[in-house]
Amino acid sequence: MVRGVRSSWGPRAGSHQLDELLKKRVVLITGKGGVGRSSVTAAAATLAQRQGVRVLVCEIGDDPADYSPLARHFGRERLPASPAPIAAGILGALLLARSGQELFLKSVLRSGTLARAALSSDALRRLLSAGPSFKEMGVFFQLLTYLREKRSDGQPTHQLILIDMPATGHTLSLTGLPELLLRLVPRGPIAAALREGQSYLNDPTLASAYVVAIAETLPVSECLELLEGLRKTGMPTGGVLMNRVPVDPFTATERVALEEVIERVNPLGAEGFLKPVLARREIARLRANTMLPITLIPEMPQSGLMRSIADVLLTAEKVPLPQTQGRVA
Amino acid sequence: MTTDTVRIGDLIRTRRVIVCCGAGGVGKTTTAAALSLAAARAGRRVLVLTIDPSKRLAETLGVSRNPPTPVAVPADRQAAAGISAPASLDAWMLDPKLVADESVRRLTKTPEDAQRVLGNRIYQQVSAMVAGMHEYTAMEALHRLVTEGRYDLVVLDTPPSRHALDFLEAPKRLAGLVEGRAIQAFLPKRDSLVARAASKVIEKILSAVFGEEFAQELVSFMMTFSGIFSALNVDVNAMRRFLSGPDVAFLLVTSPAASTLAEAHFFQDKTKELGLPFRGFVLNRSRARNTSKRWPDEESLDQISPEGKSGIPKLQSFAHAELEAARRDLGLLTELQQRAGQNATAMAVPELPQGADDMITLITVADALAAA
Repeated sequence: MVRGVRSSWGPRAGSHQLDELLKKRVVLITGKGGVGRSSVTAAAATLAQRQGVRVLVCEIGDDPADYSPLARHFGRERLPASPAPIAAGILGALLLARSGQELFLKSVLRSGTLARAALSSDALRRLLSAGPSFKEMGVFFQLLTYLREKRSDGQPTHQLILIDMPATGHTLSLTGLPELLLRLVPRGPIAAALREGQSYLNDPTLASAYVVAIAETLPVSECLELLEGLRKTGMPTGGVLMNRVPVDPFTATERVALEEVIERVNPLGAEGFLKPVLARREIARLRANTMLPITLIPEMPQSGLMRSIADVLLTAEKVPLPQTQGRVA
Repeated sequence: MTTDTVRIGDLIRTRRVIVCCGAGGVGKTTTAAALSLAAARAGRRVLVLTIDPSKRLAETLGVSRNPPTPVAVPADRQAAAGISAPASLDAWMLDPKLVADESVRRLTKTPEDAQRVLGNRIYQQVSAMVAGMHEYTAMEALHRLVTEGRYDLVVLDTPPSRHALDFLEAPKRLAGLVEGRAIQAFLPKRDSLVARAASKVIEKILSAVFGEEFAQELVSFMMTFSGIFSALNVDVNAMRRFLSGPDVAFLLVTSPAASTLAEAHFFQDKTKELGLPFRGFVLNRSRARNTSKRWPDEESLDQISPEGKSGIPKLQSFAHAELEAARRDLGLLTELQQRAGQNATAMAVPELPQGADDMITLITVADALAAA
């Protein structure tokens, strides 16, 4: 229990708080830098694996040799370029724009000669790497390919695809891509691929975005802006995962008694004393400004350890909506 | 470069461009604002150039968001911050779409040409797509401002990006499109039989991928745009040379978190690889200063009411944790200093009070940077 958030906010009876997330086909984990997005993504993947879900974790990358914050949680330097085990029961892969573009060209240019000509064309390669929307299109198509993959029994190869999304702007340009490009190219193979992608991404039973935030002023403001942006691009949103919520060990009486010395001396320990107060204020502000579920992940001594986050996610508590506003969706 | 130790205070006073790189959420924009404030306080004409900043910073500096050109920080705020003529502080929170439009107008030969590009629906849609355009426009704006010579120093807050050096790579990719006349391959050919045949194949590919109608539109768009691309290409190469020169300093802003540190190291290697002048680390949110904080004396503790006494051991465990963190951050700074090597430095900026990016706080940070 995270004390001090409010003792009556216990976990709801029944299953754990991320069961909704684990039912989806594709989940985008997004949020501003420095909030622990990749630890939460890794923890969610671990949780999925423990529940027996065939999970694929992804990160958007330019180069398979790039440093990967997500891979670090699995004791690796980088993610594989195509799905391969990165931990027991967990597959990982980079979503590479270039390989997505190649897959797309191969699927569209049925003629082998044309496809080979296209792929070996220096001019075409340069065009694809320069145009901003071409890059997103490549990522989009690569994701679509993973979503389509089926096993011999007809079941999806990857039941759940979890994506550690880059900074806010990049997330919105990916979720807004189908609508933007469909306005430009309403017909043809690109349009068909975009519509198929949309049929996953805009369906709340199949896809969801979760915003990771921390209970501080600017991160909460940016989280609210991001939620609004996601809504505008038609991306279903599962909720906010409030990471590193400070634990408050003090009783109300102790707080009153200690306040004077904290203010006068500003001693060692004052930061720890004051942080939960701010966190409560910011969580309340977030609650007042969104109807979406807010899940609290308490701060842990070894901050960011994904296995402990996964444990905590099983029992994490949700911040209920005020009585007057109805129930949590 | 002299062999003297690099000092951030000197960079502020002597360089023409300071580029702030770093992962998202490390306080990069605040650091860029504090650096520019410090330089203006030291008597220089300064511009801070930032993209997609927090509203709060724009409010602190008293400038509007997304104006078409740089704007002066209001005179009363400059005076309050101790900036007096001929020194000045301008800020530009730029909107990528506006800057892209501006570049088109500048690089086209006639207003009619400009209108043709600006009115093209491919241009309208793609330039509205923020990711990627950020990098082009930042580079474009920086180049223009530096060549104009209106400022002694331009501080660039790089766009939020997983890879902060993307803003250097993205224009290079754009340049790659023009080099070897890549675009020409997509355009209808009249000259040789071979070129015509090659162009036919590409036409087929484009029609298959985009549909015939859109492929036509795309080709005609690229014809109009190729002239602009080539003009921009010259700028990009000149800019790369300039950014590698002695008038420029790259600073990496980081925080004590393991992930942002790892990324800072990655950026440092990358700047070296690209031949860019890496000049130092700014370690934000350092708790190193807490080593000087004290535990309350016996008398203060005695005054705490009996029913609150049970809180003291709890406070004490926070105190232990904070002291430990402070020592860790102190060690971290030493490590960064060693890593910085001969031609660079490392300095720590303490954690700012929550949400306090008001002018007073910025000046405090600015003074710390200037003295470093």
